[in-house]
Amino acid sequence: MMGELAASLAHELNQPLTAILSNAEAAQHFLDASLPDLEEVRASLADIVDDDHRASEVIRRLRGLLQKGELERLPLDLNQTIREVVRLVHSDVIIRQVALTLALDPALPPVCGDRVQLQQVVLNLMLNGLEAMTDTGLDERALIVCTKRPDAHTVQVEVQDSDSGLAEVNMDRIFEPFYTTKPADMGMGLLICRSIIEAHGGRLWVANNLARGATFYFTLPVTEETP
Amino acid sequence: MEPLPLVFIVDDDASVRTSLERLMKSVGLRAETFASSQAFLQRQRHEGPSCLVLDVRLPGLSSLSLQEALAAEGSMIPIIFITGHGNIPMSVRAMKAGAMDFLPKPVRSQDLLEAVQQAIAKAQQARQERAAIADVQRRVQTLTPCERRSYLSWLTAC
Repeated sequence: MMGELAASLAHELNQPLTAILSNAEAAQHFLDASLPDLEEVRASLADIVDDDHRASEVIRRLRGLLQKGELERLPLDLNQTIREVVRLVHSDVIIRQVALTLALDPALPPVCGDRVQLQQVVLNLMLNGLEAMTDTGLDERALIVCTKRPDAHTVQVEVQDSDSGLAEVNMDRIFEPFYTTKPADMGMGLLICRSIIEAHGGRLWVANNLARGATFYFTLPVTEETP
Repeated sequence: MEPLPLVFIVDDDASVRTSLERLMKSVGLRAETFASSQAFLQRQRHEGPSCLVLDVRLPGLSSLSLQEALAAEGSMIPIIFITGHGNIPMSVRAMKAGAMDFLPKPVRSQDLLEAVQQAIAKAQQARQERAAIADVQRRVQTLTPCERRSYLSWLTAC
């Protein structure tokens, strides 16, 4: 997993680095001309500054995830975590005119984990679902988040959207570090989600729904009862 | 007059697109940029010599599918792939399908500009060859049936 994360990091940094290098070398060429085009040089420098900020932002966002040290492992109520995230995406849900349904199992046992990281996973999957429905008809935009207990030792979270679903070919590639269907995406959201869930001893996968849309699933082990 | 060479750049990252276009401009090359394979395919084909600088990783229609689509429509445009990360199986596939070059990001301008110059030279040469063939074909059309028969027997004797 760390190898894939490193590959994602390399990719996310390579983009601004490519732009910085090309802009810097273009500026050198402009300055070498007998009549230097200073406007172009100025524009190159402004873009270099922007892309440097962008590279720093990638590092800042990853620093939290790549930090050594143990995950915080505290018992937590996933339903509560989901409700906290719902509050965060509330305005997105309204702006995007999506019907959000929560189907949370009230008897869900606690899991052990890092609250902030698990919040990040739920947030990412929900935003992913919301964005996927950008081209879906207004009256068909529905996002369902549910929690259940498939067996005594496992808690399962499902985030279900109603877009056109993923093409079969995308299904295998969606977790690849380079893969994204969204130009503006950081390109590593799902990969990071999967690494967080696996670090918690769970699994994360995606499947197309029978009717329409796709569902992201993740499981987490139920906290051992204290003897 | 020969139409000017044109460099096409397809990359989904806006800053990379702008910077590569500027780099081409800084050495006097004209460039046009596109955010996706589809956008490039929709553009009318360029009459003059051209080459394509293509990001390996593209959302939507992939770079390799674009390469296939161009080959299917008979396009001879030389393609220079740039990749953010060493992806060996992909580069092998691209090279086998006729890619001119495969350059890692962040790409050094000297390497890219050399590859672009070579690609344009290749496109120019291919254009001249096609023009020469078209010229021969046109002349054959002007022959009388009798002349054509002797031309064909001369060809088969060669």
